[in-house]
Amino acid sequence: MTNLSVYAIETQNLTKVFEKKAKAEGSSIKRLFARVRPKKEEIVAVDHINIRIKSGELFGLLGPNGAGKTTTIKLLCTLLLPDDGTAVVNGYDVVKQGEEVRKCIGVVTGGERGLYWRLTGRENLWFFSQLYNIPDRMAKERIDELLKLVELEKRADDPVEKYSRGMKQRLHVIRGLVNDPPILLLDEPTLGLDPGAARVIRDFVKEKLQRDQKKTILHTTHYMEEADQLCNRVAVIDHGKIIALDTPESLKKSIQQMGIIQINVSNLQQGEERKIESMDGVKKAVVSFTDSVVGEATIKIHAEEAEEVIPAATEFLIRSGARIIALEQTKPTLEDVFISLTGRKLRD
Amino acid sequence: MSLAKEWRTFTAVFIRNIKLFTAYKAWIIATIIWPIPLLALNIYTYSALGTPDDVSQAFTQYGYPFAGSIVVGTIVYLLYNRLLWGTGISIQRERWMGTIEVLFLTPTNKMTILLASGVSSLVEASWWIACIFFLGGAIFGLQPNINSVPAVAISIVSTMAALIAVGVFFAGFFVLTRAADQLASGLQAPIRFFSGVAFPVGALPQMFQYVSYLIPVTYGILVLRKAVLQGANMASLWLDLLPLYIVAAIFMIAGYATLRIVERRAKKKGTLYLI
Repeated sequence: MTNLSVYAIETQNLTKVFEKKAKAEGSSIKRLFARVRPKKEEIVAVDHINIRIKSGELFGLLGPNGAGKTTTIKLLCTLLLPDDGTAVVNGYDVVKQGEEVRKCIGVVTGGERGLYWRLTGRENLWFFSQLYNIPDRMAKERIDELLKLVELEKRADDPVEKYSRGMKQRLHVIRGLVNDPPILLLDEPTLGLDPGAARVIRDFVKEKLQRDQKKTILHTTHYMEEADQLCNRVAVIDHGKIIALDTPESLKKSIQQMGIIQINVSNLQQGEERKIESMDGVKKAVVSFTDSVVGEATIKIHAEEAEEVIPAATEFLIRSGARIIALEQTKPTLEDVFISLTGRKLRD
Repeated sequence: MSLAKEWRTFTAVFIRNIKLFTAYKAWIIATIIWPIPLLALNIYTYSALGTPDDVSQAFTQYGYPFAGSIVVGTIVYLLYNRLLWGTGISIQRERWMGTIEVLFLTPTNKMTILLASGVSSLVEASWWIACIFFLGGAIFGLQPNINSVPAVAISIVSTMAALIAVGVFFAGFFVLTRAADQLASGLQAPIRFFSGVAFPVGALPQMFQYVSYLIPVTYGILVLRKAVLQGANMASLWLDLLPLYIVAAIFMIAGYATLRIVERRAKKKGTLYLI
């Protein structure tokens, strides 16, 4: 029985701690003993997070790799058990009512795993439909509909191993829909896809799943553009903690008073961002190298008064031997929100 | 528990397994090749000890004909192996294929998945029974002595059920480890030794026989040897079938409990998906 909560997903102080073997140090004999009885250290993957997702909402969980996004999804879909706190999905407790939770969710992961490659797309979908106890005829009709929805009907009877990466991902998405769940947990569904294939998935999520089918969607990503375009609200997660939660617009507004300068340079030496960060008026500075051999990089500088910082920053860069290719003052993005909160870029 | 739901899961897993089995031609070839040299090895090992008559004479003191005894032992051992890999390793195989998480995300009973894997493994291994019986008769002079076909059928079905129970038992442990294949390989030789595949268990020292009678494979070999080679009927078999059922039930219950415990542990430690 579902409760009367208006939230499709609700967590309270949800926490997950993993044990990891500590790195052995000392002499080779000590290291050998450490391999037999390794010391353990604890890693808090999800740290007392509180999120409430309304029915029909497309909620984003944005954070860099290792931030705790996938662990959160795994806790919500019952693949992991929490160490503290609670999570309720569609009114069901993920620990006490795991089977009920699994009946009303669909989970889609990015990457190559999760499909039987030697079976055809249709066979994969049929197999999973049966595990969700869908009568055969109804399952076949639903499979046809789903294949049509993602334009895979012509390749439905080919083995999955012959599919392109984008086709496999589309199949992944409809595998998660085979039981027509009201709640979808999408874990980096566009990971590793080329821009065209990623756009197809994004459009499908936004237009078909949220707008037409009114699904509640929790979407994790480390692509800030994706979170910005798709989500009604975004929680920014880092080191297992939610460090900001609001609509993309409000999050960006929160740093609107900040001047954001983007400088594209070449011939930049590593470590120069620290020197830039120590300049007067600079709040944060991050550098991402696109080609570290020739020192090609993009520098993002957050400053209270951009106009005052630009001359000093350009002078410093020229003196350090860097060549300025482009310089512009930009509007804040979700990446800037993350930089402003953590001092790091999302893909660091 | 809805029977229709369990049947749907059972059918889906069974069909998927058969499709996957036939999709990998190497598996089919391996299944065809494997039983033949194993049977020959078990029989020819004895040729070094004397003439076929001498060996038969030695076996007679245990009440079984030589070739038939080896043929039956080899069949049960092969079925045990197939089920250890087919049922016991079935969850680990999902890990290798990268599908364990999506499988565990479905609201299914894991026992049903394991039982379906067991039955599909038996179907895959049906070739072995036919092949070894044919070879046993054509090359090694197997002469069955069957008085009751129902007794043989019940012995076969009971043995298969017991072997599925063994597979279920090990499946639980294999969820905990990433080295299930090594464990399964490690379990082949001891079971082959203790269960008397290639010799009567009575030939083992008493201490070892205690271990033998803890293993369902031993009882499977015993009842089948009696039904196929000694012409036993149901009236004389039930005393041997009873311990087979008891041991099988213990393995099945222990397997179910183990599976629940290790699934919870794997979810707690986050090791479910690790390859």
